[in-house]
Amino acid sequence: MTPATSTAPAKPTTKSAATARPGGYAGNLLRVDLTRRTCRAEPWSPETMRELIGGVGLGAMILYRETATRDGKGNVSWDHPDNRLVLATGPLAGLPVWGTGGLTVCTIGAGTNGPTSTQANGFFGTNLKYCGYDAIIVQGQSKDWLYLYINDDVVELRDARSLVGLDTWETQGALYKETGLAGHQLSVYSIGPAGENLVRFAAIQGDYGHVASKNGCGAVMGKKRLKAVAIVKGTKSLRAADPRGVVQAADEIAHDLRTDASARSLYEYGTLPGVVNLSKMGALPIKNYTTNLTSNVAGADLSVWEAPKLRENFDHRGHQCNACGMHHCHMSVIRHGDQKGKIVDEPEYEGWSGCGWAIGAADRDSVAWLNTECDRACVDVNEWGWLCGWVMECQEKGYITREQLGFELKWGDVKGAHRLLQMVSRREGFGNVLAEGVKRAAEKLGGPAKECAIYIEKGATPRGHDHRSRWEEMLDTCTSSTATMETGNPVHPTEIGQPARINPFDGEQVAKYVAGLRGRRSFEDSLGICIFTSRTRLEHVCRALSAATGWAFTVDEALRFGKRTAVINRATALRCGHTGAMEYPSTRYGSTPVDGPAKGQAIRAQWEKMLDTWYSEVGFDRKTGKPLPKTLKDLGLDWLSKSLWGNKA
Amino acid sequence: MSVLKLHPEKCTGCLRCELACSYMQTGEYQPAKSVIRVSPFEGHTSYAPYTCPQCAEGWCMTACPVGAITINAVGAKDVLDDKCVGCKLCTIACPYGTMFYDPATRKAFKCNLCGGAPACAEACPTAAITYEDVATADWLGDFAVERTARVLAEAR
Repeated sequence: MTPATSTAPAKPTTKSAATARPGGYAGNLLRVDLTRRTCRAEPWSPETMRELIGGVGLGAMILYRETATRDGKGNVSWDHPDNRLVLATGPLAGLPVWGTGGLTVCTIGAGTNGPTSTQANGFFGTNLKYCGYDAIIVQGQSKDWLYLYINDDVVELRDARSLVGLDTWETQGALYKETGLAGHQLSVYSIGPAGENLVRFAAIQGDYGHVASKNGCGAVMGKKRLKAVAIVKGTKSLRAADPRGVVQAADEIAHDLRTDASARSLYEYGTLPGVVNLSKMGALPIKNYTTNLTSNVAGADLSVWEAPKLRENFDHRGHQCNACGMHHCHMSVIRHGDQKGKIVDEPEYEGWSGCGWAIGAADRDSVAWLNTECDRACVDVNEWGWLCGWVMECQEKGYITREQLGFELKWGDVKGAHRLLQMVSRREGFGNVLAEGVKRAAEKLGGPAKECAIYIEKGATPRGHDHRSRWEEMLDTCTSSTATMETGNPVHPTEIGQPARINPFDGEQVAKYVAGLRGRRSFEDSLGICIFTSRTRLEHVCRALSAATGWAFTVDEALRFGKRTAVINRATALRCGHTGAMEYPSTRYGSTPVDGPAKGQAIRAQWEKMLDTWYSEVGFDRKTGKPLPKTLKDLGLDWLSKSLWGNKA
Repeated sequence: MSVLKLHPEKCTGCLRCELACSYMQTGEYQPAKSVIRVSPFEGHTSYAPYTCPQCAEGWCMTACPVGAITINAVGAKDVLDDKCVGCKLCTIACPYGTMFYDPATRKAFKCNLCGGAPACAEACPTAAITYEDVATADWLGDFAVERTARVLAEAR
C-alpha cells in the first residue's frame, strides 16, 4: 500500500549515498522470497535508518507498507504468502553494550491475525550484523521445507527435509553438525513440531533457550515452510561513530543495573525473584486464576522458591547473550528426580509460572524440564500455562471428559502436561482443538468451559502473571496492537514525567499511567538490545544510541519515536479488522480474585472508565479505535490520515 | 611481571572480550579479527576464552625467518608489521593456535597485551580474564600441571 501524501516515508532506497551510513549499522536488509527462492541484499538509506531505527520501528513500517491486500482495503491474513516475517536487529546489536544480540520478530501473527512485535536475544543480531545485514525480510511460501543459511555474502536457501520433525534443540545440533561449527559461531533460530504443525501459539526458539514467543510467529514460519535460520558469525566489521562514547554509555548502563534498586535483583538472578515477589502481591497466577494462595498447590513450599535456592537447586552455569554481564540467562543440569542429568535452560519467571504455578505444579526439577520441553517443541510458555491449566480445571469440573482428552489430567501432573504438549504440538486427537489456542478452543467448547479460559478477545493471551492485581498490564495487553504488552513496565517513570507510584487499583490512575508510559518499549525494541539490560535511565540508552550512530538522540525524541511506531502498528491492526470491541479480557481473565492479596479488587467494574481515560490520553477515537488526526499530525504521521480517515481528515 | 590469566569456569560466553580486542586491534568492532577467542565446550553449555599465553619457548619467534616477532616492553611477543612478510610460518609453529594471519594486510597478528592494559580483561564482566602480577610467566604450565593432577586424582 502506498501512503497517500508526499510526506510518506520513503521505501528503503539505494539513492542516498550522499549521506554516510550511521555507525552501528551493517547497511543492508536481506530480502528472502521463498516462493521464488531468491535472496538479495537491499541497501537502506541513512534517512530511513534515522526514521525507523530498526527492530519494531522497521518491522512495523514493513508490515504497514507490504501486507495490505491488493485492493488496499484490508490486510492479508497470517497464513497468506504475502505476509511478511521480519527478523530485525537494531543499531546497538553486536556492539559492546550489554545484552545486544537482539532479535525482534514482526509479522501478522497467527494468534490475533494482526501485527506482532516479539523479542529474543542470544547471538542472532550479532551474527547477522557481522555478516552485513540489519534485518531479514521473509516473504512468499515454499513448497518444500527449507532453511536459510547466511555466512557473510553466501546466502542460501537449503533443503531442510532432514530437519523436519526435529525439535528446536535437535535442529540446532543438526545444523552444528552439518556446518562443522559450534557455540556462538552459528546462531540458529528455528521452529519445532508446534511450528511445523501451525499451532496458533508456536514460537521461534534459538540459541538454546531464547524465544520470540508471541502471537504464533512460529506458525507463520511453519506456514512459509522455513524450518530454521542459521547465521554464521560473520567476518565484517561494525563501526561506531563514537566508540569511546559507546563504552562509556555501556559502563553507565552496567553500573545502573548492578547498583540500582529496581534492577539489582535482575542483575543477580534474572527473573527468578519474580515467583516469590509476585506471589506477595497476588500476581503469581495459580491454578488458572482459581486462587492466589500458594498453599493451594499441593507440595508447595515457597521458601525453596527464593531466587538463590531456585538457582542452586541445579548445577548451573552462566549462558549470556552478546556482551552481557548480567547473571541472568543460565544453563542448568537437573540434579534430582526422573529427569536427573538432563540439560535445561534455566526457566525465566514466566517458565516457572506457565509450566509450574499456573498448572498447579511446584516441583522445581520437573517444572524446569517441562519448560525446556516447551522451548524445544516451540510453544509460547505463557499460552501453554493458560491452555494446560484450563484443560486441568475443565477436567476437574467435568467440562472436558476423560474420553475427549484421551487420558486424565490433574492439577500438577507434569508428566500428563508433557503428554498434552506432545498432542498439541503434533495436533493429535483433542490436541488438534487445543492447538488453536486458548480463545478458539474455549469458543469451540463454549458453555461453562469458556468461562474458565484466560485470553484477550483479540485472540492473544497475557504474559505469565495474574493481571487481576496488575491492572496496568491487563490494560496494556488488551489495548495493545501487537498481541502483548506494548507499553511495558515502568522503569524510572519520573524521568518521563510520570508519578513514581500510583494506586494500583484505581482505574483512572492506572489508565493515565499506562498512557503516559507509552513509547518507551517500542523505542527499546528497535535498538537490538535486551529489554532487561535497558532497565536503566532512558537517557543512558539514548546516549548509547547516539554514540553508536552519531545522531543526537534525546529522551523526548525516543518517546515520540516509540509512540509513532505504536501508531503505525495500530494502523495495521485496524486494517486487520481489530476494533475497540476486542479490547476486553475474557470472563476469567477479567474476574475478581477470590483470595490472596488482591481479593475483591474488581477490574471489570472500572474497565469502561479505564478505556475512556486511556483513549483520551493517547489521542485515539474511542468509537473506531483510530488515532485522531491531531495525534497523527503531532507525531508527524499526517500521511496516515487519509488512509485512516479518508477525506474527513 | 603481569600476565593474562584465564579462568574458564567464570566465562559465560558473552564474547565481550572479542569485541573489545578487535576494537583495539582494528579500530572497529570485528570479532573475526580478535586475538582472543571464546570456544564452546560440552556442546553449548560452557565456554572458555583463550589467547596467546606468551609462552616461554616463543615458538613463533623461533620460526619467523625475518625476525619480525619481538618481545615488547610489557613482555608480550609482538609482530613488527614493517618486518613481517606474511609467510605464515609462525601460525604453523604456534602450538596454541593463537597466531593469526590477516589476508587484508597480509601480515601475521597476535596478542600484544595491548601495551600493558589488555582490553579483554577490562571488558570481561565476570572477571574470567584478569591481568595479574605473577612470579612466573609460564602460569599456563603451572595450571596444566595442577589441573592434570586434579583430574587424575578425581578419576581414581
